[in-house]
Amino acid sequence: MTALYLLLGTAFGYVLSRSGAADYGFVQGMFLFEEFQLYGIIGTAVLLTAPGLWWLRRRGRTVFGAPLAIEAKPFHRGNIVGGVLFGFGWSITGMCPGPIFVNLGEGKVYALAALAGALVGAATFGSLYRMLQRLFGLPPLAQGTGEG
Amino acid sequence: MDLILHGAQPLHWALGGAAIAAVTLALLFIGNRRLGVSTGFEDVCGLVLSTPYFHRPGSSAGRAWRLPFLVGLVAGGFLSAILGGGWSLTWDLGAYGAALGFGQVGTLVWMFAGGVLIGFGTRLAGGCTSGHGIFGLSNFEWPSLVTTLSFMGGGVVATQVLHRLVLR
Repeated sequence: MTALYLLLGTAFGYVLSRSGAADYGFVQGMFLFEEFQLYGIIGTAVLLTAPGLWWLRRRGRTVFGAPLAIEAKPFHRGNIVGGVLFGFGWSITGMCPGPIFVNLGEGKVYALAALAGALVGAATFGSLYRMLQRLFGLPPLAQGTGEG
Repeated sequence: MDLILHGAQPLHWALGGAAIAAVTLALLFIGNRRLGVSTGFEDVCGLVLSTPYFHRPGSSAGRAWRLPFLVGLVAGGFLSAILGGGWSLTWDLGAYGAALGFGQVGTLVWMFAGGVLIGFGTRLAGGCTSGHGIFGLSNFEWPSLVTTLSFMGGGVVATQVLHRLVLR
């Protein structure tokens, strides 16, 4: 299965690289409402994933027959505050998490600094979890804020 | 607009979106996993830090798929560069390189600072563009809609402000 995840990641990375999602100019163009490209990509992805998900949920099983398990993300104040902070970071770096890794593969040196920052940010979050939990009403530590 | 990478023409957005949908659905249908990249930052942290948050039961289970997926993302970017005209180290920021005008050290500091906001923000929000924006919205999860509106709003505000102050 490791090979499959490697393959899916490679396909995802290739598409992000070729479509402009990992491109500084296209990200700025999106936030300036000057480029439709990335809105088109996210919109199409959601529009096509939604019916596929609906069908998979109705079927209720994976291709191997295992019961489908989709962990729901809980709502808390961190969704809003964390979302806004991430939006600032996305604007500054021109990268969301996937494209950080893609830009690294493309050879863009500055992506290394963005990755280092993201790891420091995540490490800070994890270390302060109990305090942030009270502040933002986050789920118990054993559960965390969810996969995503 | 062309890509910074090789000045290439980007894929049509409909094709890019369809490919992302295919990867998202394949990951769930075959691997029983919901797409989400930003938890990967936690997985990497868990490799070196002993902080309890990075060793809760749920997070170590996801590591087996997410770490190879992250390696794949890097490989995908590498492959894209190789097939598009060759791989080389670059500092190119396209039209914005001159506008930023920080020099190499300044650019690294700028990217590091933005990266901290990405790492902290996505984990506080419980996901990023992939986990909330693509998977969550497609699955009609309302917390994902709130989060997506928050990060798109944050991005728009930051960019509009930066373009008036820094990127002129």
